[in-house]
Amino acid sequence: MGKKLPNPKWITIYGFLFPGIVIYLFIVMIPLALSIHFSFYKWSGGLSKDFIGLHNYSQLIRDAKFWFSFRNNMIVTVLSIIGQLGIAFVLAVILQAKWVKFREFHRTVLFLPVVLPAVVVGFIWNLIYSQDYGILNGVLKGLHLQSWIRPWLDDPKIVIYSVTVPIVWQWIGLYLIIFMASIQSIPAEVYEGAEIDGATGFKKVVYITLPMMYDTLRVAIMLCISGNMKIFDNIFVMTGGGPGNSSTVMAQYAYNTSFGKFQLGYGSAISIGMIILSLGLILLSRRLMGGRTVES
Amino acid sequence: MKKATMLALGASAAMLALSGCGAGSDGNASQGGGSDSGQASSKPAVKLTLEDRLLETSTDGSVIAHRQMIDEFKKENPNVEISEESLQDATYKTKIKTLAAGNDLPDVFELLGSDAKMFSDNKLILPLDDIMNQAPDWKKGFIPSTLNDFTVDGKLVGAPMQMLSTSLIFYNKDIFDKAGIAEFPKTWKEFTDAIQTLKAKGYIPISLGNKDKWVAESCILSELGDRFTGTDWFDSIKDRKGAKFTDRPFVDSLAALQELSKIGAFNADMNSIDNNQQRASYYNGKAAMFFEGDWAISSLSSEAPQEIKDQTHLAILPTADGGAGKANVVSGGAAWAFAINANLKGDKLQAAIDLVKKLTGEEEANVAAENNAVAATVPTDYDKSKVVPLFNEYLEMFKSLELSPIYDGQLSPAIIETMNNGLQDLLIQRVTPEQLAKDIQSTYEGT
Repeated sequence: MGKKLPNPKWITIYGFLFPGIVIYLFIVMIPLALSIHFSFYKWSGGLSKDFIGLHNYSQLIRDAKFWFSFRNNMIVTVLSIIGQLGIAFVLAVILQAKWVKFREFHRTVLFLPVVLPAVVVGFIWNLIYSQDYGILNGVLKGLHLQSWIRPWLDDPKIVIYSVTVPIVWQWIGLYLIIFMASIQSIPAEVYEGAEIDGATGFKKVVYITLPMMYDTLRVAIMLCISGNMKIFDNIFVMTGGGPGNSSTVMAQYAYNTSFGKFQLGYGSAISIGMIILSLGLILLSRRLMGGRTVES
Repeated sequence: MKKATMLALGASAAMLALSGCGAGSDGNASQGGGSDSGQASSKPAVKLTLEDRLLETSTDGSVIAHRQMIDEFKKENPNVEISEESLQDATYKTKIKTLAAGNDLPDVFELLGSDAKMFSDNKLILPLDDIMNQAPDWKKGFIPSTLNDFTVDGKLVGAPMQMLSTSLIFYNKDIFDKAGIAEFPKTWKEFTDAIQTLKAKGYIPISLGNKDKWVAESCILSELGDRFTGTDWFDSIKDRKGAKFTDRPFVDSLAALQELSKIGAFNADMNSIDNNQQRASYYNGKAAMFFEGDWAISSLSSEAPQEIKDQTHLAILPTADGGAGKANVVSGGAAWAFAINANLKGDKLQAAIDLVKKLTGEEEANVAAENNAVAATVPTDYDKSKVVPLFNEYLEMFKSLELSPIYDGQLSPAIIETMNNGLQDLLIQRVTPEQLAKDIQSTYEGT
């Protein structure tokens, strides 16, 4: 640490940043600008485009299907915050306990789904939910709970919950790792002090662990919201947004509009709407979670 | 040889780059149209891009025939290098539209009937009229109705690749016998009664896999709709001459489809399995019927167990009471064609034409027939002993049938998207026939 930090010239800094910026420019900024541009047109591909100003947006605001798909996004997001973060937190606390054996092994197994491609996860869960051959219905039959058997991916009332379960399952591992790292950085003295004061396991979690990792939790919630606002692949593989529109999320709706109906202008407007709503939600969550002072 | 290939690669890469920008102008030695190429080794090497749905693993006879033609073409034209990409049906439909939006279509590709107008309006595909007129032998071979399917605003935009009926009922005679149904129902009432009888016996009356959303529309509604509305109504819809989707007969056809699902004709997981999976429960004897096009004949012949194969027969939907449509009509047509990129010029264009000719000529028709599929051209000479009995039954039945339009072969993508999504909802009683008809009509008016 005694060494002086290097003090590079501006040209060096920008030189190293350049490749990253170029890539970012081409895969994010330019497509985004193009989307904004296209959203002012009625366009079905090809050469002819009609400029229609804000018409696409006024249509979007009145589009019940868009708001329905936004509602689906919200369901997935809320369940994910509760499911992913909740389960990950509980597991993280348990894995920190002294009596847990094979800590690394558990961590790896729980993390495994994170590295699986969404398509694989989708297919696995399609098999699990399968009407005749699915393991879920098989287990229910084995437990003599035949009455619980549902057409999991065909009943419009439950399909959005059915497709959320794999999403929750897949991402628990990621938050588990984040939370474990955060918990490990809490100084041991704090716990020792609490133990002397007579705090038991549960109280330690509520009064020490939770407040001490509040910042991590905030970041995790933000990641969770942004991840679920753009969710697409899992649901696309499992149901394609069906039956009808029952499990259609915003990204799927934009996809259907752009590449199914081939209304590329309106599809772009939907994507821009998605960005605005996601940003709004993230800002809202940051406002609600506020500064770092909690019940001290 | 190796050196030549390298050179060829270099040259064609340059050409590809040029045409990719929409300025394919390799101005050297343009051949005068129509002449057959073949064993021309002196010509400069040509590189063609080909995008299709001809998967190596497919058991569909039409695909097998086309694959064989591509292999033969490669052998006969060593100077033409084909870089091919084969995709699954649903993926292909999306990708080709995406490429079209970027004006980046491959040199030769499969064109879906409902995309034809949009592609043609955007001047993305080469009209084939002149080329076909210069090759009368080629043109003469086509079944005339298939050419009509790909005539847009008076121009022929693609060479039809097959002759489909999309709405055949494959049924298991043995199951029908066991349920006491002596022959396939002739009226709608008998049909629904039969379904209830089959249901009571514990069978799935109709196995349906509608996850990809086109099966209910292309294989059932296209024909069921025609039973109620008659083909004149559809022509009026297509030419925008006053017919509406909210017209009573069309609404009735939606109601009839919904009635089928209400009496439990379909399996509960119909919206989460696809058309390959719908055959599975038929193959293992749990389902009495399924609806699919004639492409399923060859798939069934190679996939199903022998005892199921022996019991399988074909039928079409019974008449609808008071419907305007004829009883001997099956929804059918070419549905898909091979199209050529409008940007092609010179040798590349000639090679593309030769390839499409090979893919849709009488040779292909003969191979297709031996593999139990009907090409868009009339087969002239094929080994009848190679054909499975079910295919002969189909050809026999086909003689007395007339064709009605396939909805997704003819209507625009926006209408089809709304219809396909809506049908999933209709089948699970989430939308009324009236409401769905209204939705489709408003999409129709908006395009």
